[in-house]
Amino acid sequence: MEDYDVRSAASILASVKEQEERFEQLTRALEEERRNVTLQLERANLPPNPAISQPLAWQQVVMQEQSPGNATSLAMMQEPQEPQEVVEETVTIEEDPGTPTSHVSVVTSDDGTTRRTETKDMSTNVKVTKMVKTVTTRTVRQVPLGPDGLPLPEGSSPLSSYTDSIDRRYMKNGGERFITPQATSTLTRAYNNSYNDSYVETPESQYIRHYGLHDGYADLTDNYGSLSRGVNFRPPRYPYMPNSYRPENSYTLPIRKDDYGHVAQPQVPMGSSTVDLNRSQPERFQPEPYGLEDDRRSLGPEEEEPYELEPDYSTANRRILPGTNRGRTHREPLRDVHRVRGYPDDPIEAELIDERHPYIHGMYSAPLAQPERGSMASLDRMAGRRSPSIDSIRKDPRWRDPDLPEVIAMLGHPIDPVKSNAAAYLQHLCYENDKIKKDVRQLKGIPVLVSLLDHPKSEVHRKACGALRNISYGKDNENKVAIKNCDGIPALIRLLRKTNDMEVRELITGTLWNLSSYEPLKMVIINHGLQTMTNEVIIPHSGWEHEPNEDSKPRDAEWTTVFKNTSGCLRNVSSDGAEARRRLRECDGLVDALLHALQSAVGKKDMDNKSVENCVCIMRNLSYHVHKEVPGAERFQDPSALQAPGSAGPQRKKKDDAGCFGGKKAKEEWFNQGRKNGENDKNYDTLDLPKRTEPSKGFELLYQPEVVRLYLSLLTESQNYNTLEAAAGALQNLSAGQWTWSNYIRATVRKEKGLPILVELLRSDSDKVVRAVAIALRNLSIDRRNKDLIGSYAMRDLVSNLPSGQQRPAKNLEEDTVVAILNTIHEIVTDSSENARSLIQAQAIEKLVAINRTSQSARETKAASHVLQTVWSYKELRNALTKDGWNKSHFQPTVTATPKATKNGKPGYDDTTLPLMEKNQDGYSTIDQRDKDCKYKTDDGSADLTEREPLKNDTNRKHYIRSNRPAVSLVDACDVKPQPVDSWV
Amino acid sequence: QRIEIQKLRQGENLILGFSIGGGIDQDPGQNPFSEDKSDKGIYVTRITPGGPAEDADLRIGDKIMQVNGWDMTMVTHDQARKKLTKKNEDVVRLLITRKSLEEA
Repeated sequence: MEDYDVRSAASILASVKEQEERFEQLTRALEEERRNVTLQLERANLPPNPAISQPLAWQQVVMQEQSPGNATSLAMMQEPQEPQEVVEETVTIEEDPGTPTSHVSVVTSDDGTTRRTETKDMSTNVKVTKMVKTVTTRTVRQVPLGPDGLPLPEGSSPLSSYTDSIDRRYMKNGGERFITPQATSTLTRAYNNSYNDSYVETPESQYIRHYGLHDGYADLTDNYGSLSRGVNFRPPRYPYMPNSYRPENSYTLPIRKDDYGHVAQPQVPMGSSTVDLNRSQPERFQPEPYGLEDDRRSLGPEEEEPYELEPDYSTANRRILPGTNRGRTHREPLRDVHRVRGYPDDPIEAELIDERHPYIHGMYSAPLAQPERGSMASLDRMAGRRSPSIDSIRKDPRWRDPDLPEVIAMLGHPIDPVKSNAAAYLQHLCYENDKIKKDVRQLKGIPVLVSLLDHPKSEVHRKACGALRNISYGKDNENKVAIKNCDGIPALIRLLRKTNDMEVRELITGTLWNLSSYEPLKMVIINHGLQTMTNEVIIPHSGWEHEPNEDSKPRDAEWTTVFKNTSGCLRNVSSDGAEARRRLRECDGLVDALLHALQSAVGKKDMDNKSVENCVCIMRNLSYHVHKEVPGAERFQDPSALQAPGSAGPQRKKKDDAGCFGGKKAKEEWFNQGRKNGENDKNYDTLDLPKRTEPSKGFELLYQPEVVRLYLSLLTESQNYNTLEAAAGALQNLSAGQWTWSNYIRATVRKEKGLPILVELLRSDSDKVVRAVAIALRNLSIDRRNKDLIGSYAMRDLVSNLPSGQQRPAKNLEEDTVVAILNTIHEIVTDSSENARSLIQAQAIEKLVAINRTSQSARETKAASHVLQTVWSYKELRNALTKDGWNKSHFQPTVTATPKATKNGKPGYDDTTLPLMEKNQDGYSTIDQRDKDCKYKTDDGSADLTEREPLKNDTNRKHYIRSNRPAVSLVDACDVKPQPVDSWV
Repeated sequence: QRIEIQKLRQGENLILGFSIGGGIDQDPGQNPFSEDKSDKGIYVTRITPGGPAEDADLRIGDKIMQVNGWDMTMVTHDQARKKLTKKNEDVVRLLITRKSLEEA
């Protein structure tokens, strides 16, 4: 590039001046045209809309990036998005070529062309890309030419010569991008930007992108999501561009258009000339970048004009960029940009940086160009941009990226597009960069972003929301607190209520999800947003209807991102203790909607997704302690349980339960061999179950026996460990406690043949699943009949999960899981010598003794010794035991050499001597709680990284995140992940 | 297995000019310096060129056995860091072990 400039510069300078004069005329004409065009633009806007959707895709991508925690969900989103992005890109590309062909001078025609081109693009992306390349080359040429000034009069031909060299470069770059956009996303990006800039009026485009002009931001934004904007604008612009270009109509018609066209497509000599003029004095032109501001402004008031101007240039560039980037790596583009910026090495980057700089200047120094000027400004800008681009090419040091304080200051800029671009840029900067997030917080950027949430312009609050979403993500809870402290949560909720833009809603709910991972914020979110989220998202997306129409079919749940994010948020907040659970249970329609959604998932056999997981987790959390916390629960308390908490419970049940369960036989079918007594068979259904005159609703649904089938279906069908764990946990919670409903639930699980399903899951590879299932089985075995069945059929699977001696089994379960299994075994063998016998037959004694003597875990040791003591307490079994070589010392914790065992010995004794009940109760509460805690943690973790962190160390967490992320993010992920903890001293 | 003395230099803070990795709370499998990948000791992972640690001839990969007499073989990463960064000391005495020294 520089070479060109040097060569041509001398010769061009002379011509440039003349061109400048022309240019001015043209610009004036262009303004008029623009006005005319604005009307057209409105039309054009339509075409942009498709583009907008694409931008959305970008934004979504951004979102994904933003919420690494949601990596899974993100990943899912990205895939769909990518295609969209690609389309957009293609469209833009096509437009460029198409426009030249069409040569439509009229703006309207341009619009039409643009639209057409878009469609074409859709059909043939490949072609489009090629086209783009050519275009880019042209633009590049123009740009260089422009600065040189030579090409202007002659038009394309001279330019071409100039451009050739330039083109090559660009081409190469372009080629690289196209060829391997992914490989070198950063480079590609930089190239893209440069290309884009170069294409149209490289400088302009660059300015736009980098600097915040709409375009510039749009570029950035594109990466972030602002692309949509850029894209939208671009399409209209393109048409213009083409017209101007080809026809040199621009000359006749509105000069400006020509200029634009030139700018957009360097090919036109005129444009180049104009460009040259501007460029010729790049420095001067830089002021023009201010003009960019105008464009921005114009965007606000008159989107058409500004868009047109910049769009042409920017559009091409942007489009190309987005297209390339989008198609291949959504995230990377953003990162690339950063990287690019970060790396001065790349010429392109340098250019970009340079351009941005001017941008900033423009913004600040010349806050607002007047709208009228906008057109002029745009022209100027174009020129200016070109010059900058040229400059950048020359590596003019003047250009640089805005630094963080500048960006944050731009958030308060009077021009809306500046705000939105600044926010989008912030979003980009904050992605995966905890330091930037912290800096933004310390620079008081968060309150400004929050205040932008109430901004009437969707562009602004969308970008602000995107930035907040990224800022709120991560383990740095200070950022979350900062958002809360400036009333960000109510602001988000307000916006959620107000907006109908799906993308904005996704951003809001994603932000809330991130925020919900921090314990102290959970109640705040509940207080401000629970009913809104339920009414605005959960209920509509679940398909549930308050008063179902007989006419309309029941609707299925739609697993939208909004739903996923919202359910993830509620999942996190549902773990915040009894008060949070109460609020959620009593939230009108929430439980109903969640159940409907889950039933719909089961019906569709679509239950491995994140939304289902979130729903089940909420249900599980809400089921926790339901027997204590639900209003009116006392009425259902089992009086016998109160009196004799221990072993008496089951026994009493036998006696008391006179009612016979109609479905008894069904249960028996599976386990009937195991049943010993007819008495055991009795169901508790007939207990004091309240007669339901009307269908239950609200929180009552949580513990209706009907939900058992739902959970069992999930346990049968789902492949998602978290869902399995949560479903088992829900059954565990429901079957705990001593109230009527839990009796009923326990019987229903058996009746629905749930026991074999649960036993099957004991073989799961997932530690969490095994644990939840084991505890569920333990609670279920409070039911005498269940205990017999479980003892007969589950013992072997339970025992096989135990570690044998020093060597951990292949599964290598965590301590909690082993303890849970031991407790379950203990519960099963208590009061049942039959079950103790089957335990012995399962070769469990050897394992138990080994655990008792050698385990490193006091809890495991204690639990194992409890089991052993219980077994030894069955005198009728001692013969068999001694035959196998065991003696009393093996079963007495005190005797064993292990000090731990002695310590634990007494409690163990207590348990044995005392009624089992106590232990059971203990077990319930502790286990439930423990389990709950675990669940919460895991849930949170999956939902949000932050939550997860407590559980695992940083490296693990990062791994987790990365793995979930889409391939695009992998690069970054790798960077972060490898570092083990080390600290400077 | 030999004692090295390091002087802290005054930056804005007292710095030693090296970084440590490991600790019983860290995954030893990620430690590039331990031989069997199960050593949870504290290792020197990076050294600032020209820093006090380099001046004192500390090497990357050295395992820190003691800091001022405190055992460093069974401590968490954070405990080790705190022992090394006490503000009121301007000298840190390290007992370290180095593979090359062992072999010699």
